[in-house]
Parts: sequence; structure tokens; C-alpha cells
Amino acid sequence: MGDFFNSVLRPIELLVAWIMYGFHEVFTTLGLDPASGLAWGLSIIGLVIVMRAAMIPLFVKQINASRKMQLIQPELQKIQKKYKGKTDPESRQAMTQETMALYKKEGTNPFSSCLPILVQSPFFFGLFRVLNGLDEIGAGKQEAIGPITREVAGQAEQATIFGAQLSDTFLGANNPATYIVTVVLIILMSLTTFLTQRQLMTKNMPASALDNPFAKQQKLIMYVMPIVFAVSGINFPIGVLLYWFTTNVWSMVQQFYVIRNRPAPGSAAEKAYHERLARRGKPIPGEAERKAAEAKAAEEAAAGQGQRVQPKGKKRAKKK
Amino acid sequence: MTLGQVAAQPLVWVVRAYQLLISPMTPATCRYFPSCSAYAVTALRRHGLFRGTWLTLRRLGRCHPWTAGGVDHVPPLPGHPDDGELIARHIPPTPSEPASQQSTSAQT
Repeated sequence: MGDFFNSVLRPIELLVAWIMYGFHEVFTTLGLDPASGLAWGLSIIGLVIVMRAAMIPLFVKQINASRKMQLIQPELQKIQKKYKGKTDPESRQAMTQETMALYKKEGTNPFSSCLPILVQSPFFFGLFRVLNGLDEIGAGKQEAIGPITREVAGQAEQATIFGAQLSDTFLGANNPATYIVTVVLIILMSLTTFLTQRQLMTKNMPASALDNPFAKQQKLIMYVMPIVFAVSGINFPIGVLLYWFTTNVWSMVQQFYVIRNRPAPGSAAEKAYHERLARRGKPIPGEAERKAAEAKAAEEAAAGQGQRVQPKGKKRAKKK
Repeated sequence: MTLGQVAAQPLVWVVRAYQLLISPMTPATCRYFPSCSAYAVTALRRHGLFRGTWLTLRRLGRCHPWTAGGVDHVPPLPGHPDDGELIARHIPPTPSEPASQQSTSAQT
């Protein structure tokens, strides 16, 4: 198992090493001291930017999907209405199942899929291993990882930000600067994740989604999360925490952009967005379709078919 | 419990640890119901280490941005009902129609 992990992670370690080394070369050329923590810290931030920028196409795809979400809103609301007041886990499961079946039927999906997390996690481990290995490589006990030779590793290992070495961990250090920098980074990481989640919950969730047990569980998790960060953070090198924090900042900004420009239907953010559009005299997206649908429903009601059409298969539609 | 199910237990713990510790830090991502991690737990418990791992890997391979997602349950053991049908029994009846046993899984 260990060998398997090594052979899978090796190419990723190499890629991480090359990206970091490349950024380090650039910053050195720009005049930063090659042995400084600033040059190496910025290289880690550069690694985050490369990785997240590579995933922007996925992000754009998700944004475009939100337009289609707007169109299936009436059907979603029908499902939500059907389950109104039903909070037992079985009903919630049935509701999720119906909602997901609807997404599939309509060919749209608000979720980004599990692939991005799966792709990112080896890079996280790769960086962890590169940073963790710096002292061993510098001491010649472990072989070089691509461009991170014994000399480079020794230099990076000695690099400090605010007096803390990038390869230091809270548990492995006896240096007050490392303790302080770790704690500050853990607080910043918790804060960014917390704000990201809170922004999502308070601004970008329809009111109907907020009173279900899952949202309550999510809330609880939101408060437990800093503890998780603290426990794992004291085991990680400062460089990994820096990477993690930068990723969080990126996610936060990206989400801020989405919520501002493509808010979820029925959410507080959507209301604010429509108000902003109205103030500028721009058309509200989906409004024309909604009005047309309302007019059609009124027409049908007037024609004496008070029965609203439920989302269902043709077979069921026939029996009545 | 079969040997395969016992052998799968450590992996189930790993997935549970992910669900409890790592997943909360990321927004909801999975395009399927049940989510990939929930699928993994059921697959490992139901089908044991080898088939469970295989089913989980296949599901992870399916969960990419170009899929429509939707309902995708772990295959039942022979002679057992499908999870989708069991869950669909809890769909509340609509007032104007008879409460028939509607199966959402038929759409997947």
C-alpha cells in the first residue's frame, strides 16, 4: 500500500516541485532574496494560483448551469411544497431523490461533481511531502525531488516568514515564532472557511432550504470546523497551512463573485441582484419566462382545468 | 457478516472520517444521490472489500462535470429491493391523485 502511494504521488510531487521552483526563479529574477521566506512563501501562493486557475473552466461551467436552474425553478418549488413540514430523515431522503432525479431529467445540476476534490487532494499531499521532506533532502538523507536538490532544499528549509520556518510544524518546533504563525494561520483558515460557508447559507440559500435538518447540521458543523482545523493544523508544516489558507481565500472570492452575479433562485442574494439590476434599468433574467408561465397558468385556470400539471411520466399523466 | 464485509470495515472508517472531518470544510459537491461517500459506505458494507471498492471507483469515475448526475444507488444484493424504491415509499401522496407506489429509480 505504501509503495503504491509513493508511485502515485511521485509524479505529483515532481510537478509541485517544478511549479514551486519555477515561481521561485521568477521571484528571484525580480530581485527577491532567494533564501527569503517571502520568495518561498510567494512560490507556494503561486502554486495555488496555478492549480485554481487550471480549474476555472469547471467553475465557468457551473456558473452557466445556474441559468438553467432558473428555468426549472417552478418544478423545484413544487417538490419543496410537497415536502413542506416533513422533517423526518426518510422524507428528506425522498425529497433529495426526487430533486436529483429532476436535475437529471432536465440535464442540469447545481453541484460541481467530486472530480475537483479528487484532483486537488493528491496535490495537497504532494506539497505536504515536498515540504515535509525539505530537511531530510537538505541533510542528504533523502534523494532530491526534481529541481529541489540538496542545496535548494537546504535553502528553502532555512527560509522563514515572521521567524517561522516553512517546513516547521507546531508540534515539531520549539520556536515561539512557529507557534504564533501556526495559530494565526489556523485562525485565518477557520475564518475564511467560516465566512465562505456563512455567506453561502445566509445569502445564497432559498428560505425553504434553510429550515431543514441538513441546514441545521451544516450550521453545527460550521462551529465544529475550527476545532478540526486546529487539530490538523498543529501537525502540518507552515507551508502547507499557507497553501491551505490561500486556497480558502481563492474559494471565498470566487464564491463572492458567483453569489453576486449568479445568485441561487429564491435566495436573499437573488433579491439583492434583481434590485441592483432594476436600479440600473437592466432586464431581470428569467422574469419574461416566469411571467409567460404565470400567464399560461392563469389561462389554464380560466379554461376550467384548475389542475396544475405535476412533473411526471407520460404513463401517469394518462390515468386520471 | 462475510469475510469481504469484515475486510471492508477499515475502508468504511476511512470514508466515515472523510465525511466527518474533511467533507464539512468543503461545499456540497456531488452530482449524485446518494453522494459518492455515502455510496462508498453502502457499497463496501453491502458488497465487501473487492466488489465494494470496485463499485466505488466506478462511481467516482462517473462523478465528473460532464455528467448529468441524478439518482444512482448501489446495486442491491440478489433478492433484495432497490434502495431507490425503498426511499420512494416515503414520497408523500399528492392530494388529487391516488397514493400509488411511484418509483423514482425507474427514471435513472
